[in-house]
Amino acid sequence: MKSIILNDVVPEIFAQRGDLRSDIWHKKVVFEKGLTYLVEAASGQGKSSLCSYLYGQRGDYRGSILFDDDDISRFDTRHWSRIRRNHLSILFQEMRLFPELTAMENVRIKNQITRSQSIATIGRWFEELGIADKRDVPVAKMSYGQQQRVALIRALCQPFDFLLLDEPISHLDEHNGNIMRDMILSEARRIGAGVISTSIGRHLNMEYDKVLSL
Amino acid sequence: MKLIWKLLRRHISVGQLTGFFLANLAGMVIILCGIQIYLDIEPTLSGKDGLIGNDYIIVSKPVKQLGSLIGKNTARFSDQEIADMEAQPFTESVGAFKSSQYGVYARLDTGKKSVSTDMFFESVPDRYIDVDIDEWAFDPQSQTIPIIVPRNYLNLYNFGFAQAQGLPQLSEGILESISFDITLYGNHMRDSFKGRVAGFSNRLNTILVPMSFMQWANNRYASGQDDITSRLIVEVGNPADERINAYLQEHGYEAENNSSDSSKIGFLLKLIVSIIVAIGAVISILAIYILTLSIYLLLQKNTEKLENLVLLGYTPRRVAAPYIMLTASLNIAILIISIIAVCIARGIYSAKMATAFAGATTAGFMYTVMAGVILIVVIIAFNSLIIQRKINVISRKR
Repeated sequence: MKSIILNDVVPEIFAQRGDLRSDIWHKKVVFEKGLTYLVEAASGQGKSSLCSYLYGQRGDYRGSILFDDDDISRFDTRHWSRIRRNHLSILFQEMRLFPELTAMENVRIKNQITRSQSIATIGRWFEELGIADKRDVPVAKMSYGQQQRVALIRALCQPFDFLLLDEPISHLDEHNGNIMRDMILSEARRIGAGVISTSIGRHLNMEYDKVLSL
Repeated sequence: MKLIWKLLRRHISVGQLTGFFLANLAGMVIILCGIQIYLDIEPTLSGKDGLIGNDYIIVSKPVKQLGSLIGKNTARFSDQEIADMEAQPFTESVGAFKSSQYGVYARLDTGKKSVSTDMFFESVPDRYIDVDIDEWAFDPQSQTIPIIVPRNYLNLYNFGFAQAQGLPQLSEGILESISFDITLYGNHMRDSFKGRVAGFSNRLNTILVPMSFMQWANNRYASGQDDITSRLIVEVGNPADERINAYLQEHGYEAENNSSDSSKIGFLLKLIVSIIVAIGAVISILAIYILTLSIYLLLQKNTEKLENLVLLGYTPRRVAAPYIMLTASLNIAILIISIIAVCIARGIYSAKMATAFAGATTAGFMYTVMAGVILIVVIIAFNSLIIQRKINVISRKR
């Protein structure tokens, strides 16, 4: 997958609004592999909706979204499973970790279907993010900031052409945010992937190739 | 798989699954026992005989008092009557019984005591007899006559005669392994032979010898007198054909061995077994219903986890696998336990059956196992379909 193309896309609930000023809704937008994007928005502008559309969770929009030449509204569940294992990764704002599993199990449950990272690499990431001591703690007993880091490690445990980050550092301090940024950038560069990050205020402290406002 | 299982086993209701397990087990045991009992009893009712196939009836004429008093044999079939019987649509072939026209004297020496009696022989064409062709042959050189004895003659001897006379009881095996002395006389001749029991029959109330021997002996000891046909063996396409009884009544013939009685009992047996199997099926269907509800509840409670797994890239099939494995292993356990239960039940009733129904066979167990396997496969397929469909719905949710 080389590009994600949005053709005149708008959430259905915004369709009747005439006062939309956006770089994305009702525009043609192309996200290219290998580049980094920041999507800035005030809350309520449809930032999480955009991520849900791109990840195939929701389809309540007008217009069309293409992965290369393929309209994603025609993908079936199995096709989405393949894309979510091999081409598109996401760090959900709400994280979607399994609270009853430990941090390591949450990562392994992803890695066991993609088999993309070694246990050593995963262990190193836990170390770098400062949560090595939480590996075997159930996620339910971890803070939001710690959970966010577990969710990132999980998101990196697969090959991807694009990484979607929905408010990736909303619960992190600057120091940890920078560690996370370095990890994301080095992994994205290693495999030549694009990064699409959203933010309603604080964002990953880095040079974006393009900044769009919703 | 272990991780998914750890995740998805949450909310599994042990109570509901136990309920399903016990109920479906009860249903399966009832169904399989019903089938097994039917398979065990049915052959004895339809009079299947090791020696003579099922699709034969033996036809005779009633003996009229007056005829027998004046010494005229009224109970014989004429050639026209035989030809008419052959022409009936239900008839495949007709064979005539040939009787011995000479004297037969048999003697059995048991060591301490000897038993001897006058007797007779009859024979039917060899193709009606299902005995090894080598056993069922007579060679004048060997002086040994193969004989088929009615099983109830042996019972008569064992339980009546032997006990009254203090003689040893004989099993079928022993009788088949020993030979006894037979003397044939007539036409101013008297010769000694050895008799050997080649088999036992439930359906033919006569002492049978090979046709070849009968012809040879009738020529030798009765100088080829006219032989009388008093009984016919009729091969029919379908023994339950109503035209058979109608024809027999119309001509005043009698059919031996009460096949109409056994068909009534057979009908009752079928009815009872159908009711039993239906009860078992209702229990099983209700059990499957419980399981279906339980699975729906389980999937509903775990919806969020299932959704998240699909969002992580798990295919719906892979997400469904633990639940399908769970229900499949429950059902396979049910199958194994119910087959064992049928084995045990069979051990209990077959001992009693052996006394009530002579000649109960042990065949048919494989059919019961097959029926159980087919039922369980159908149940597993049904469960899997329900689980997969429900999970597909969850994964498509937008």
